[in-house]
Amino acid sequence: MTVLELRDVNAYYGNSHILFDLAMDVEENDVVTLLGRNGAGKTTTLRAITGTVPRREGHIAYRGEEITDTAVERISRRGVKLVPEERRVFPTLTVLENVQLAHELAADPRDVEETFELFPVLDDLRGNLGRNLSGGEQQMLSVARALVQNPDLLLLDEPTEGLAPVIVDDLREVLGDVVARDVTVLMTEQNVEFALDLGERAYIIDTGSNVWNGSVEELRDREDLLEEYLSVGTGET
Amino acid sequence: MSTHSLVFEQIITGIGIGSRLFLVAAGLSLIFGVLDVLNFAHGVLYMIGAYVAIVVVESVVGSFVLGVVAAVVVVAVVGGALESVFIRRLYGRDEEILDQLLLTFAFVLIIEDVVRFVFGSGGKSLTPPEVLTGTVPLGAGLSVPTYRGFVIVMAVLVLAGLLAVLRYTNVGRIVRSTSSDREMARLLGVNVPRLYTGVFVVGAALAGLGGALAAPAESISSNLGNSIIIDAFVVVVIGGLGSFVGAFVGAILIGILTAVGSEVIAGAGEFFPFLAMIVVLVLRPTGLFGGAEV
Ligand SMILES: Nc1ncnc2c1ncn2[C@@H]1O[C@H](COP(=O)(O)OP(=O)(O)O)[C@@H](O)[C@H]1O
Ligand SMILES: [Mg+2]
Repeated sequence: MTVLELRDVNAYYGNSHILFDLAMDVEENDVVTLLGRNGAGKTTTLRAITGTVPRREGHIAYRGEEITDTAVERISRRGVKLVPEERRVFPTLTVLENVQLAHELAADPRDVEETFELFPVLDDLRGNLGRNLSGGEQQMLSVARALVQNPDLLLLDEPTEGLAPVIVDDLREVLGDVVARDVTVLMTEQNVEFALDLGERAYIIDTGSNVWNGSVEELRDREDLLEEYLSVGTGET
Repeated sequence: MSTHSLVFEQIITGIGIGSRLFLVAAGLSLIFGVLDVLNFAHGVLYMIGAYVAIVVVESVVGSFVLGVVAAVVVVAVVGGALESVFIRRLYGRDEEILDQLLLTFAFVLIIEDVVRFVFGSGGKSLTPPEVLTGTVPLGAGLSVPTYRGFVIVMAVLVLAGLLAVLRYTNVGRIVRSTSSDREMARLLGVNVPRLYTGVFVVGAALAGLGGALAAPAESISSNLGNSIIIDAFVVVVIGGLGSFVGAFVGAILIGILTAVGSEVIAGAGEFFPFLAMIVVLVLRPTGLFGGAEV
């Protein structure tokens, strides 16, 4: 079943037109990665899906129902959960409170203790305030907060950005578990290796428009695409 | 009367004033913390609370407790309507703050006129119930008027209740998370419109309680809201926006400065609170408890 379908999606910040007639399909249990260089519109795409972009047009359907005009919290309640780029851990809530809050807000949550088992690092930091965590710990908490809500569609915005390699490995392990557990995932990544490793299908966008889509296997052999749109192998970032 | 007991009496008077002021300032601060709305009509909500208590006690039931309950309920409903019918329309506008100011100030003018029209401009007051009259001796020749003690205890209970809800309940976590990152709270599923109305209702209810408790303590007239809202803003600035403990400490401080100040220089009760505000703003611009957790 198609979990998410985007057709002719346009998005704007004030007068800036950012997404141009974007199209995308995410099928049940897919792991789709959205690739593109910095500023291509990856975050804006996720914001259009979650309803947090100031203005969106076109058709966004979640499990067959239009959500283009649906309020942010309603989209969330239906099971679409975003781990945002900036982590957005609540600074004045403890680690435990961040997780409890997410648990209580979800329609069909995962057990809190079970969630902490996935994140041993967080388990030891339950009483710490969000603002006192390191970047890696905040990212773990942000992912934990989404997972405890037992998402139907998990949106990850550059989950590895700014993380030390060991933490990236931890994250890969946790997310690998999630993927194995039949969660549908749409994620953006600059870390192509991570994206190709976890993903099954990929979309490449540039300046807010579709450029390419296909399987991760195909993409591996397309150095031209990787070089042109993802700055891989050119030494740039 | 000795100087010693005179000073004590002024301090107790001040704490009594501060306790009612706290109820207004706490609601004002809560609403600002969560909704980013500066509710200028908060003072008239307090005034409505006082009038509802008077009307209910004098002409309907004769029970002080029911009068207070009625005041809280009526003002809560008025507050809920104010937010869900009017203020809600202004969220996200370009000139949001200015529009809020104009809208809430318009309500101040309208409600004051309506109250003056219905009740006249003369002062009214309420006799406290029998059990709350007289004084409670504290020993050492000092005593506290029973009603004043009651108001102080109520304020402390409200503070403790607010802090407990904020810290230990799901609603508290929702309030704290939304006041620090509204969008992330919505992404997790917080129903923000409903939360806003709820917070406004609670803030208004606190003002209604304060007003009802003021009815037996001071002369109630249609301009009651004006004096309290200014003081409540001073309290919130001194205590730090969004901090209940700050609002409490600030309110008690302002209450004492007002009571003692008007004893030192007759008629200058407002001088010292503003002086305190300026001093705090110069030395600690975020307020005494600003930047702390709500
Ligand atoms: N809040 C904003 N206001 C205006 N322009 C924005 C805003 N956020 C992003 N943009 C612009 O939108 C474009 C796409 O940004 P974004 O979706 O964040 O890209 P990506 O996530 O692919 O790096 C960029 O040109 C960026 O400058
Ligand atoms: Mg981005």
